[in-house]
Amino acid sequence: MVDYRFTEEQELFRESMKEFCASEIVPKTEKLTEVRRMPKEIIKALAKFELLGLIIDPEYGGLGTDVITAGIAAEELARADPSCSIPVLFLVGTSWGHVIDKYGTEEAKKEILPKAINGEQIIGIATTESDIGSDLGSMKTKISKKGDKYIINGEKMYISGVAEAMEYGGGHVTLAKMTPDKGTRGMCLFYLPLKDTKGITPTYVEDIGREAISCGGFDINNVEIPKHYLLGEENKGFYCVHEGYELARGLIALVCAGAASKALENGIAYIKERKAFGRHIGKYEGIQFKLAENHVRIQALRELGYKALWTYDQEIQGKASRFDVSMAIAMAKSVASIWASEAINDVMQWQGAFGYTKECEDQKAWRAVRSFTLAEGSTEIMKLIIARELLGKEFLAYR
Amino acid sequence: MKLIACIKQVPDTTEVKVDPKTHTLIRDGVPSILNPYDQFAIEECVRIRDQIGDCSVSVLTMGPPQARSALMRCLALGADEAILISDKAFAGSDTWATAYTLSLAIKKIGFFDIVFCGQQAIDGDTAQVGPELAQQLGIPQVTYVEKIEIDNKNKLTINKQTEDGYQILEAKLPLLLTLLPPTSFQPEHPPMSSILKAKRKPFNIWDVETLGGDKSRFGLDGSFTQVIKTYTPPKRGECELIEDNPKEAAKKLSKILCKNEALTKR
Repeated sequence: MVDYRFTEEQELFRESMKEFCASEIVPKTEKLTEVRRMPKEIIKALAKFELLGLIIDPEYGGLGTDVITAGIAAEELARADPSCSIPVLFLVGTSWGHVIDKYGTEEAKKEILPKAINGEQIIGIATTESDIGSDLGSMKTKISKKGDKYIINGEKMYISGVAEAMEYGGGHVTLAKMTPDKGTRGMCLFYLPLKDTKGITPTYVEDIGREAISCGGFDINNVEIPKHYLLGEENKGFYCVHEGYELARGLIALVCAGAASKALENGIAYIKERKAFGRHIGKYEGIQFKLAENHVRIQALRELGYKALWTYDQEIQGKASRFDVSMAIAMAKSVASIWASEAINDVMQWQGAFGYTKECEDQKAWRAVRSFTLAEGSTEIMKLIIARELLGKEFLAYR
Repeated sequence: MKLIACIKQVPDTTEVKVDPKTHTLIRDGVPSILNPYDQFAIEECVRIRDQIGDCSVSVLTMGPPQARSALMRCLALGADEAILISDKAFAGSDTWATAYTLSLAIKKIGFFDIVFCGQQAIDGDTAQVGPELAQQLGIPQVTYVEKIEIDNKNKLTINKQTEDGYQILEAKLPLLLTLLPPTSFQPEHPPMSSILKAKRKPFNIWDVETLGGDKSRFGLDGSFTQVIKTYTPPKRGECELIEDNPKEAAKKLSKILCKNEALTKR
C-alpha cells in the first residue's frame, strides 16, 4: 500500500514555511515586482531561514535534507510570491548548488557553497544561447585547457539572476564545448563567477513575468577560470547538467502547483462573494465545473511533483535508476505550466474585467507560470523524454 | 535550574465556526496549532535558559496523540524534552481536572523552579488552568506576565500587565507564571535545522498508570463543570465608527447619544 503522508519533520517544516512566508515574504511581494532584481534583503531572509542550503551536505553549511523538503519550500514560496521570482531564485540555487555539491572539487565546494548558503552570493545556471536552447549539442560556447586553467569564449542568453550575480557576487554553472566533433559527449560543465570577472559583459532583457529576478545574458571573451571550477569530468558535462535540470524541473512542478492552488483559493473566495443575475456566481454550474476540473488537475500535478522528487530521492539512495527519475520528472513538468496557467486563467476570467487589470494579483501568477513551458526544459522536450522511455532510445527523433 | 512549560494544542480559531444546530465547534478540516500564548511562554522559557545557563526546559501537555506535533514544535523552538500526557481516562477534563493531571506530571518530574503557562488558550479562553495548577502545586503565582528578568541570585523581576500599565514585582522561587505576550510579539518560526534537532530530543508519553494519583479526579469524573452549549452571540445592532479629531469626535458622539436619549441636555 502506498503511504502518501509527509514525515513529521516535513509537516513541521511546512508549518514553519507558511509562517515564514506570511511574515517575511507576503508583505513584500507588492513592491517586489517593481525592481527587476531580487532585493538583497530577500536573499538574506531566505538564508537566515536556512532555505538556501536545504539539501546541501552539512560539511559545507547545508542541512542535508531530502529533496521532497525542498519541494515543500518551493510550493510554499510560490503560494506566497505570485510573481514566482523568489521560487525561481530558490529552485535554481537549490538545483545547481546540488550539482556543485555532487560534482564539484573539494576546493570549489568550500569556496562556493558556504557563501551561497548564507546569502552572500547566488548560484545560477547558464546553458542557453541566443539561438540554442533545447539543442544543446549545437552550442557555440567553447572551453579549452591552458596549463592549470581553462579559457572560455562564447555567450549565454535568457539566463536568470545575471544582475544579482554581477552586483552581489556569485556565478553560474555553465556548459561549453571542449571537443566539438563529439557533440554532447564533448562538453564540460563548470562554475563561472560573474562579478569582477575580466571578459564578462552582461546584457539584460525584460521577461513578461517573474519581474523581481533579472533575466539577461553575458558575452564571455577569453575568460580564464581555475581548473578546480570544473564540475565532474571533462567531456561529461552534458550528463552532469541534466541532474540539475531534473531537480529543477521537479521543483518547478511544485512551484506551478503552489501558484495555481493559491489562485484557486483566491477564486473560491471571489465566487462565494460576487453576485450576478441575483445569485453568487459560485452557484452556477459553469463556474463549478471549471473549479472542479482545475482542482483535480492541480492536485494531480502536486502528486506528480512530489512523486518525481520522491523518485529523485530514491535515486540518491540507489533505489531508482536515472531513467526512472527522467520519466517521473518529465511527466510532472510536461503538464505543470499548462495546467497551472489554465487554472489561473479561469480564476482571472471569473473576476471579469478586474481579472485583466494589473490590480489583480492572479495575473502575476499567470504571467509567471507561463514561463515554465520553456524554462529548464521545454514542454516539448518533456514529451520527447516520456516517449523515449516508452518507445526505447532507438526511436529518438534527433539522432 | 529547571523550567517547565505547560502548553496546549488548539484548533486555529481563525478557521473555526460554530455549528448553529448542535452548538459545537466544527473542527473538521481545521488545522491544529500551538496555542499562541503558549508559544510566547516557550520562547521566554528558552530565552531565560539561554541567559542563565546550567538550566533545562521541559515542556508538557495533556492531550490526544495528535498533540505530539505541538510538543515537537516546542522542541524545535528550543525546549529540551517533551512529555505527552495522554490516556482515554483524561478525556472530558475541565480546567480543574486538567490542572490536577498536570500537577501530578510536574510532581513526577520532581525538582522545578518556574512553571510557565500561557495566560489562556484561544479555544476555551478560561485562563483558569495556570492559577489552578499553582493551587494544586501549592506555589505562588503571577498572572498576566509580559516580561521576566532573572539575576545571578535567582531573584525574579516580573512585569505584570494591568489595565493601567505594569506592576513590577519581585518573586522568589519556585513559582508559576502565566504569560501574556505584548502586542509587539513576533512569534518565531523554527527553521529546518531546529526541526531536525527536535527529532533527537527526549520525548516521553505518560498514561494514567504512569502518573498514579486519584483516578476519580481525572477526566469527566474529576470535572466540576461541563460545557452545555457553545454559540455565537447574536448580533446586537449596527456599529457606527466616528472618525475625526478628538474634539469633533466627542461632539458627534454626544450628539448621537442625545439623539438616542442616552444623554440629556442641561
